[in-house]
Amino acid sequence: MREFMDYVHSAFYEATGWRRDNSYAALNSTTDALLNFRTPRGLRLTLSALASPNFATSYQLGSVGVVDGSISYLFSSVPLRLLLTPQSENVPLPDLLRSYRPLTPVARRDDPSLRRPDDEDKTNESLLYGRLYLPRSQLEALLVRRLSPALQAQFSAVSGQHLRDGGTALGLLQYDVGRYALEGLASTDGGLLGFRGVYNFGGDLSSKKHAQHSAASPAENGIGGGGNGDKERIYGRFSTGGEIYYGTLNKSGGISIGARFATLPDHKGTPLSATLTLNPLMGNIAASYAVMAGKDCSLATRMEFNIFSYESSWAVGMELWRKPFARLAVDGEVSDTDVPAKTSVTKSATPAERSFNAKLEWRLDEPEKVTEKKPGPKMNGSNAAKSKSEAEKDKEQEYAGVVKARLDQNLRLGVLWEGRVKSLLFSLGSGIDLKMMNKPFRTLGLEVQFSS
Amino acid sequence: MAFNFNWSPLTADAEFYSRARDLLTKALNKSPKPPIIVDDILVSEFNLGTVPPDLEILEIGDLAEDRFRGIFKMTYAGDAYLTLKTRVQANPLNTYLFSKPEFTSPQPLAAASGLTIPLSITLSEIKLSAFIILVFSKQKGLTLVFRNDPLESLKVSSTFDSIQFVRDYLQRTIEQQLRNLMMDELPAIIHRLSLQLWCPDQANKGVETPKEETDEEGVNPLSSPPLDPVDANGNVLDPSAISEISLNGGGETQSLFSQKNLLRLAALTDSHRTLSLFTPGIRDVVFRAWSGCADRNDVATPSVSSPSRVRTNSYTGTTGTTYTFSDTGSTLHGSISSRPTLTSVNSSMGLSVGGNPRSRPGRKKKNRVVNLRKTKSEAVTPESQSEAGTSTPTSVNVPLSEPLFDNSIPEADELQDDHFTGDHFTPQTLVPDVGENPPTLEELTSALKDLKMFADATANSRRPSLEKGSPREAAGAAAQTSPDVLDQDWVMKMASEIARRVYDEKRSQQRGKWNEAEDAPPPAYEASPQSPCH
Repeated sequence: MREFMDYVHSAFYEATGWRRDNSYAALNSTTDALLNFRTPRGLRLTLSALASPNFATSYQLGSVGVVDGSISYLFSSVPLRLLLTPQSENVPLPDLLRSYRPLTPVARRDDPSLRRPDDEDKTNESLLYGRLYLPRSQLEALLVRRLSPALQAQFSAVSGQHLRDGGTALGLLQYDVGRYALEGLASTDGGLLGFRGVYNFGGDLSSKKHAQHSAASPAENGIGGGGNGDKERIYGRFSTGGEIYYGTLNKSGGISIGARFATLPDHKGTPLSATLTLNPLMGNIAASYAVMAGKDCSLATRMEFNIFSYESSWAVGMELWRKPFARLAVDGEVSDTDVPAKTSVTKSATPAERSFNAKLEWRLDEPEKVTEKKPGPKMNGSNAAKSKSEAEKDKEQEYAGVVKARLDQNLRLGVLWEGRVKSLLFSLGSGIDLKMMNKPFRTLGLEVQFSS
Repeated sequence: MAFNFNWSPLTADAEFYSRARDLLTKALNKSPKPPIIVDDILVSEFNLGTVPPDLEILEIGDLAEDRFRGIFKMTYAGDAYLTLKTRVQANPLNTYLFSKPEFTSPQPLAAASGLTIPLSITLSEIKLSAFIILVFSKQKGLTLVFRNDPLESLKVSSTFDSIQFVRDYLQRTIEQQLRNLMMDELPAIIHRLSLQLWCPDQANKGVETPKEETDEEGVNPLSSPPLDPVDANGNVLDPSAISEISLNGGGETQSLFSQKNLLRLAALTDSHRTLSLFTPGIRDVVFRAWSGCADRNDVATPSVSSPSRVRTNSYTGTTGTTYTFSDTGSTLHGSISSRPTLTSVNSSMGLSVGGNPRSRPGRKKKNRVVNLRKTKSEAVTPESQSEAGTSTPTSVNVPLSEPLFDNSIPEADELQDDHFTGDHFTPQTLVPDVGENPPTLEELTSALKDLKMFADATANSRRPSLEKGSPREAAGAAAQTSPDVLDQDWVMKMASEIARRVYDEKRSQQRGKWNEAEDAPPPAYEASPQSPCH
């Protein structure tokens, strides 16, 4: 399950206009979420709250044989209340749990004329995060600071007695201008230095015309519900990049290059994401492919092959969204407006809600609302807020939970069922080894999360 | 004196190498492996070579036909080799990320992808230099302990010799692993092998019932040496002293009382009581006998007075069948109570528990003295035997540090014991002893040992010789007043009680014990030739 603090963390990035996934490290994030999701171990209870717009707390109590826990605090200099729904009883489940995330538009800082009007950067904002694991006395600290519109510094550290030298620290400097993004990092552990970068082209970045087109396309999507004109044409973005690491103390290093093609949210056909990574030093080639096969189903595969050792591996994973049983019959008419909504951005609530609202009022959408990106202005206007909450209720009742499963070449099966009961989010998972049929359950766990 | 060490017969045994390979494979995979090794380590080739190690005898602490204890200096520069096969992770970034916190991980995308390579490592040109403490006894097998880190240098040749940093890493990792193997695992391996060779009946005991052994450790903490003993100054205690403890403590006495020996002892006592001509031979035991009891009392105490009689009577039962072992230093609880000062207790007990073996006064050769004499009224003061170690019955029965007239002074609890003159081993004889003054660990331990001996002896000797009269029955006619079964139950109960006390005492006094036992600094074998022990 996505942790509450991670959810808040991404809300901070959203508030400051930083694109978290425009990074080489996030090239595989879609397939990783489908293939490498974490299955819980033991029992774990999390109590979280956004105590004030700037401050979040989270307490965790776990038991895997022994009882342990953690306390974490997060402070953000930007108020976050407008950007996330902290209440676990009405947080939209796809926001929290969906593995297949479509691409977000890049922030065109290199060419400000291409920027969207709502895309604004907030500089000199910072985020502080600390977490203390109790019986182990391990402390995690994170500081994120936006230095300039294109530059962000991140410093994370772990202190614990069981670690060598008492702890490690990692400094990360990120530079993102939209078309390309660079990162430099340094770690105290082994004196590791790293550099990685990603370059985007094609799709919304290929020309000015496309960029404008993409800015306008959500409106077309919202109204038309999928035009059939350019359905065949694949519309997506290419990203290529590479990384290099060197440990100054242990004289070792690593290198890899990679490429990804992923469809943009405006793509009319099936959303897909394909990546190819290559490690020339170790001879490892990995190809992964993720596709959103249906509105409620995503599939992913990954193949790896090592040209030096001839070792290969594969993994398949899937994600299946489940509707509540009671609503299956009533859902028919809402679903046709939801089809484009699902295939569009994560903020798919916006076009869906708008068309629904427009239908109710027998008028067309207002043009200035079309370009509105975030579901931010929740509180302005009683009418909008009301219709919004209605739509949200529709949406959140649309899904009751999600089932994720993966299988790899060692016949290890991971199953995860996440959902919501009343106002509690739960995550029930197990790791199953199909090769040992007499004792197949390797791990079993349940996580329960409540936030307000 | 000459020793003959055979190096080649080890290799003559066809099964030796396969057995050793199995044991090595098990030992290598037991400890957690470094992250670079991703598969089990398999010992594929193992050869001891033809060049034997050079052994220099530094000291022989104990020598007999069935046991040996000595300290050697070993240097080895032979042609033994060992080939291991495993699979390693060749990507240094992959092992770098292993066991690092995820929070500060640089999260590489594909630079950490793994490349596992089958690897065969040959360890050759092993150079060892070590001080070895070797203890052998037929009952316990061979115990070998390294006093220092034995590994001097070693050549690791592998498939990665061309890559510098991988080779360095392997060399480092393997040396570390091998050090652990030498210091921790190899003694255990050798011990197990020796058990299989010399006492196959005990070989299974150590392997199949490890849980019982751990339970026993809880009861008798001295049966195994402490893990890292230090004295009050923080210096690491001499390992030879530790091995003294473990060997002279409860461990050996327990193993000595095997069923076979006890049956023989029972037969021997029976042969004295009856007219049986069959006297079983018990090896390495000096049988001591004396003609009368009166003259012995005269020797022991110049004035044969009634208080002395009271005292002796108080533990008549226990001395009826006395197994006194000089190396265990086991003194009977009764005599401990009669000691005037605690220092005399320490003077005799310190030898067995924590003492430096070479600082013992007048320590010659260890003799196991079994007093099987049917004694009705006289006392055997065992500390005289344990210290003098000679088998002459005319030796001074009272330690020299002890004033002679002390024996004639009746102590309060002994007077009280007057009512139980004929009764043997009544609770009153023991309970005040334990509770009288704060019992030291040594007293409790020895008392526990005696109780165990006693219980074992009664349990084992009663069955085969029931109709002839067991030694305990013969010990005192009044013994029949208390039924045997009851008595035995009580003894066992008392033993467990004392064991509990010993355990508590041990926990509280662990430091202090080493402190008082360690008068002389531990001898430095390598440096100082004029160590105080020589």
